Amino acid sequence: MTSAPATQDLALSARGVRMEYLDRGTRERFVAIDSLDLDIKQGEFVTIVGPSGCGKSTFVKLVNGLLSATEGEILVRSVAKGKSDAMVFQDSALFPWYKIIDNVSYGLVCAGVSKKQAHERAMPLIKLVGLGGFENKYPYQLSGGMQQRANLARALCVDPAILLMDEPFAALDAQTREVMQAELLRIWRGAEAEGGARKTVLFITHQIEEAVFLSDRVIVMSARPGRIMEDIRIDLPRPRDLHVKRTPEFQEYQEQIWQLIASQLKAAASQFGGSTE
Amino acid sequence: MTVAAPAMTSRGPERSRRRIKIPNERLFYAVLGFVGLLVIWELASNFDLDPETPGTQGLVKRILMSAPTLIWNAGIEDFSSGVIWPHIAISLQEWFYGFIISCFLGITLGLSLGWFRRFRLATQPLVSALYSTPTIALFPLIVLIAGIGLESKVILVVLASIFAVIINTMVGVQSVSWKHLEIASSFGASQTQIVRSVVLPTTIPFILTGVRLAAGRSLVGVVVAEFQAANQGVGFYIALNGQTLNTARVFIGLLLLGGFGIFVGELVRLVENRFDAWRPSIHR
Amino acid sequence: MTAGTQMIAVTSNAERHRSRLPRWYRRREASILSFSGLAAFVIIWQVAAQIGQLDFTFFFASPTGIIEAASKEVQLPRFWDDVATSAWELLAGSGVALGLGVPIGLAIGWYRRVGFMFDPWLNFFNALPRIALLPLLVLWLGLGTEMKIAAVSLGAFFSIVVPTAQGVKTVDRNLLDVGRSMDASQGRIFTSIVLPATVPYIISGIRIAIGRGLIGVVVAEFYAQTKGIGVIIVKSQQALNSDRMLFGIILFTISGILLSYATSLLERRFQKWRPGQDMEE
Repeated sequence: MTSAPATQDLALSARGVRMEYLDRGTRERFVAIDSLDLDIKQGEFVTIVGPSGCGKSTFVKLVNGLLSATEGEILVRSVAKGKSDAMVFQDSALFPWYKIIDNVSYGLVCAGVSKKQAHERAMPLIKLVGLGGFENKYPYQLSGGMQQRANLARALCVDPAILLMDEPFAALDAQTREVMQAELLRIWRGAEAEGGARKTVLFITHQIEEAVFLSDRVIVMSARPGRIMEDIRIDLPRPRDLHVKRTPEFQEYQEQIWQLIASQLKAAASQFGGSTE
Repeated sequence: MTVAAPAMTSRGPERSRRRIKIPNERLFYAVLGFVGLLVIWELASNFDLDPETPGTQGLVKRILMSAPTLIWNAGIEDFSSGVIWPHIAISLQEWFYGFIISCFLGITLGLSLGWFRRFRLATQPLVSALYSTPTIALFPLIVLIAGIGLESKVILVVLASIFAVIINTMVGVQSVSWKHLEIASSFGASQTQIVRSVVLPTTIPFILTGVRLAAGRSLVGVVVAEFQAANQGVGFYIALNGQTLNTARVFIGLLLLGGFGIFVGELVRLVENRFDAWRPSIHR
Repeated sequence: MTAGTQMIAVTSNAERHRSRLPRWYRRREASILSFSGLAAFVIIWQVAAQIGQLDFTFFFASPTGIIEAASKEVQLPRFWDDVATSAWELLAGSGVALGLGVPIGLAIGWYRRVGFMFDPWLNFFNALPRIALLPLLVLWLGLGTEMKIAAVSLGAFFSIVVPTAQGVKTVDRNLLDVGRSMDASQGRIFTSIVLPATVPYIISGIRIAIGRGLIGVVVAEFYAQTKGIGVIIVKSQQALNSDRMLFGIILFTISGILLSYATSLLERRFQKWRPGQDMEE
């Protein structure tokens, strides 16, 4: 665990978070997340990895206020204007009935900005994510990767203190995914250049390689109930490009995290006597 | 696998030859089908077996089947003398009032049934019972309550058509995606904004389908009401001319109804296309 | 970050809307609400009728009145004759519609040009309230059962033809290619690929056709009042007996519900996948 940093440079602080669900089929309560403590500093890129069902998606929804925790407390830094967080959802999360520009400016319009102004403020972000010229297209006219660029632009558009990304690249093919990872880092730096302060990112994935490549810190979670197993600092130099994936340091990080998750999977397999799925 | 194929047969060209396009083939065959049937009809009704009694011994008895030319002539007559206009006007009026009420009431009810789960559950038995009833059967009841004037006909038109709107709207609201609602609330959208940006865009295509169906069913309501209790209207015109063996004029009434049905259907389709810009065109 | 910002706790919408109702209720909410909704409707109606608040011009039915009328009615042999007549009209009419509609629908869907030729007529009859053809049917077939069977089958016919043709047209191209690549004959392709793929469409057509057929029975019996449940309704109206009339209407409601239930059984039997929504008309 990280030593408790001074609160003024924290972007997010979670204490003793517990989340229980009622399974509709079996009518049993199960614990999705248990006694989770997590601090994220401002400007940090933090990724949570873990096997499916470890409650990582649940956690971002808690941070975003889409769900409320059974126990515990989540604090986020409030900003003077606009939303303090914004979510990049999993695949096909654009509104299919809105053009790209209307999708990207959606958060601003919700916050009461006039449509015209919202469009003006959305344009630079559309260009930043590489969708210049596509602003008047409908989502179905764009490829999966381009849709996720728009999805990202929509979240950046409200200028959030924390950017929450819930497996945004899960539905993309392997190549597009690699491109998008590099693009995400470029955009992250680009937003920093434009907006001044560096964005705090909380990124959810089940891909170890993606986690290591993107992050300053990787949080490894255990399966049901979801607990933090390890908090690993990734000391790879930035700016990073895809070549970094071939360095021995990178492979070492990957190996370390893989061991942690594999132990989980093995435990689960022996427990249920089944496959690792 | 084939053993020692005697000769290579090429299938590609053959298949593509079958696809040779007459320019606008669809239109060609449509016209052929349309005109063809009219010509057969006309010829059959002119083919008299017994010249002594023309019109009664034809392959297709003229007095029962009429013929395209007879219908044409009768049409010219009734339109130029003007006797048909009052019938059209009164039917249009009944249709219009009933259809508009159906749309407004049906959309409102459908939205609330879809959105408020408890309201839906509490009214479910009644709604599904009425939905399974041929509402046309309620007409004698309506007459007992509202008399035989315009009101009872409009009520029947509403009853005949409103469920198409209610059910489609309700299904539309229920098919709003949970994910889209989540996104909207994640961006802090207010209730009104959620309705405007998520619920309505999802529901409008469903509503329009309901409206299109309702337009046709309203016409059924008009006809049935006018068969039952009327002294004017296109339905009455058809029934009266049927009873007086004036078959050509029955067909005129049918043509009016069918033509109007097509016209309104296409009109709603235009509106549907306008709201469909965001869908890939294969879904149209 | 600028100075003056502070940490705030995350609160969610869900928190504010969490249900406080007891668990036993939440579990059975659907049936409790449905039942009490229906019960409330019947009770209010009965009470209103008894204190004389439902006295419209000629309408004064009440739930108990309907039950009374029903118990008298079911003891009459004439009543069962009427029910049998209506049932026969519906069955025979639907049978004719199915027997003609399926082959014609298959032909229209399979032979592209036949489809084109039928298009204008199908469009016209789809837009026309078929019930308006009643006076013609009376001219051709008289006032008896044959006319009513024809009215029912006309009502149901197009609801079968259109989805059937649609079903044939939307058969998966890949499946057809599989058939062709195996050198199956046209006939075999048709029976082994096209027909099974079309069955769900035919069944969803049947669902709509039943409603149309019922309307056909009602209107035809209203129009030519010889026998049947429709005649019970009209005769009761003329006698200002609204209880008996509502009993007749409820008979149609019950048959509607039973028939749509029977179709869902058929659907479940044949339909592992559902065709698109907008199939109606």
